[in-house]
Amino acid sequence: MTAYFLRRILIALPTLLGVVVLVFLMVRLAPGDPAVLLAGEFATPETLEAIRARYGLDRSLPEQFFIYMGALLRGDLGESARSRRPVLEELKTYFPNTLELALAAILVAVLTGIPLGILAALRPGSGLDLSVMVLALLGVSMPVFWFGLLAILIFSVELGWFPVAGKGTLAHLVLPAITLGINATALLARMTRGTLLEVLSQDYIRTARAKGLAERVVIFKHALRNALIPVITVVGLEFGTLLSGAVITETIFAWPGLGQLLVGSILARDYPVVQGAVLLVATSFVLINLLVDLLYAAIDPRVRYD
Amino acid sequence: MTRPWRRFFRHRLTQAGLFLLFLYLLGALFAPFLAPYSPYSQDLRSTYIPPLTGLSVRGPEGEWGLWVSPAFRHPLEGVQVRWEEKYPVRFLVRGETWTWLGIEGNLHLFGVEGPARLHLLGTDEQGRDLFSRILYGIPISLSIGLVAVGIGLLLGTPLGALPAYLGGRWDLLAQRLVDILLAFPGILLAIVLVAVLGPGLVNGMIAVGIAAVPIYARLVRGVVLSLKGLDYVEAARALGASHTRILLRHILPNALTPLLIQTSLQMAIAILFAAGLGFLGLGARPPEPEWGLMLARGREYLAVAPHVATFPGLAIVGLVLAFNLLGDGLRDALDPRSR
Repeated sequence: MTAYFLRRILIALPTLLGVVVLVFLMVRLAPGDPAVLLAGEFATPETLEAIRARYGLDRSLPEQFFIYMGALLRGDLGESARSRRPVLEELKTYFPNTLELALAAILVAVLTGIPLGILAALRPGSGLDLSVMVLALLGVSMPVFWFGLLAILIFSVELGWFPVAGKGTLAHLVLPAITLGINATALLARMTRGTLLEVLSQDYIRTARAKGLAERVVIFKHALRNALIPVITVVGLEFGTLLSGAVITETIFAWPGLGQLLVGSILARDYPVVQGAVLLVATSFVLINLLVDLLYAAIDPRVRYD
Repeated sequence: MTRPWRRFFRHRLTQAGLFLLFLYLLGALFAPFLAPYSPYSQDLRSTYIPPLTGLSVRGPEGEWGLWVSPAFRHPLEGVQVRWEEKYPVRFLVRGETWTWLGIEGNLHLFGVEGPARLHLLGTDEQGRDLFSRILYGIPISLSIGLVAVGIGLLLGTPLGALPAYLGGRWDLLAQRLVDILLAFPGILLAIVLVAVLGPGLVNGMIAVGIAAVPIYARLVRGVVLSLKGLDYVEAARALGASHTRILLRHILPNALTPLLIQTSLQMAIAILFAAGLGFLGLGARPPEPEWGLMLARGREYLAVAPHVATFPGLAIVGLVLAFNLLGDGLRDALDPRSR
């Protein structure tokens, strides 16, 4: 098992390296002078010179990459062209907010999506099943920004229950978390229903029922335990997707997170920050996937370590 | 028709999806005829007119019919309707000229005779007719979806099939590449590509398309891997079939069903992503009647004119829902594992 863990971690390393290469190439492949992209449009000739020297922009691409990589390993992600603050500082300011939002959203999704999926699977074909499935279908078909705007319109503008935008109290978190979580909720409901239905049709469930076990025991002790294993994987993957989905949700609710920082930086052509933010989200996603895989191997006895 | 396809067309939800898609296709094809006005013609005196403003069913003499009174926005008192004036709604009227698919015309399904304008879904911040803009938005969203999915298919299929068939080092390399692309979750890859290419409608399409490449590659790779060791492939090779022939004639046709299912679902995702880019200001540019962009404008005036954000969103939901319903129906009918 340790060998499996080690190998799985080793596989993640080239992926991470590839992510760094792509993010590095972003600025070099974008149209325009990389020095201008890194220093900002209004940079003075001296600043441009300093940037060229710092990143070795007159040298070959591989050399530039080693300079970039070296700086990265020292935690130096460059400097924002807009605020002139180190990119690392910017990320440290905004990332916790995104993490908070994504965690709240995944909590919403787990606490509503999984129970809804279970309820639907227990009465397949019933009115409840049908309505859960239709709602879930709507949930995956809805643009989050539209759902968010409707939520603001109804619960903030009309009813005045929650603040329109911003961050501060717990009330500020409610609408953004539900908005960001809506797709994941729908996905989890569909997934839970599907796997639970599959498990319930298996022989060992029939055996358990034939033994005369209470239905409650059959469902919770025998069926759910197996059905939830793939669901846990999806929860993990969805959490990573939420980090990127937060880009849109944060824009709607003016939530001061990484997504807002990213979009603002793209529009202002502040490439060092764009690189930093993209690198952070992609790295987190790879690491989350790795964790999910390891967790999966640990809880599912059927995973073979070869 | 074979049994799976019959099952597909009998499925209730699939029928709903097909019907929805049919409506959108009609709308896309006949947009200028169905829309009473041009999507760009503005009227700054009648901004944010709510849906159906000024419409009445009794004429000036009390006769039944559809009548429209002129509506405009007063700077202080809001929307005003001149109820004393009434103009009849006519069907198949001559109105603003349009050019569409090389055809010029000025016939519209309906319009108002006289200076009043009928806005089924109200107007936006520049007094443009929202119903007309949403109709003209259909071909935009559909073509974004088609181009993006086309890019995903054309690049993703060989990226998945060839290395998997060749195996060894090539497979490993392609898999790493796909892994790297998949490390940018959801809409992030599209956003990264737009950051490189620059914002805009075409770049947005390309970005959303490339974001679909790893998904197709992974799908096709799975199919090829599961088949290439089977006896019938060995038999074909023993009979002297070339690798190209084996891959194209014996292996890839088996990927058609999963590709078809994936493509329907991917259309839904591409349309959502493109609208998302438009919403963030990274996709289509004003004054293009792209739904995501329209929603973004509506967001700024949410409290004053909620209809400006509501209807483009509904249009997105309907189209995405249609493709999701189709994808689900295809899977239920064609995927032997899902039964």
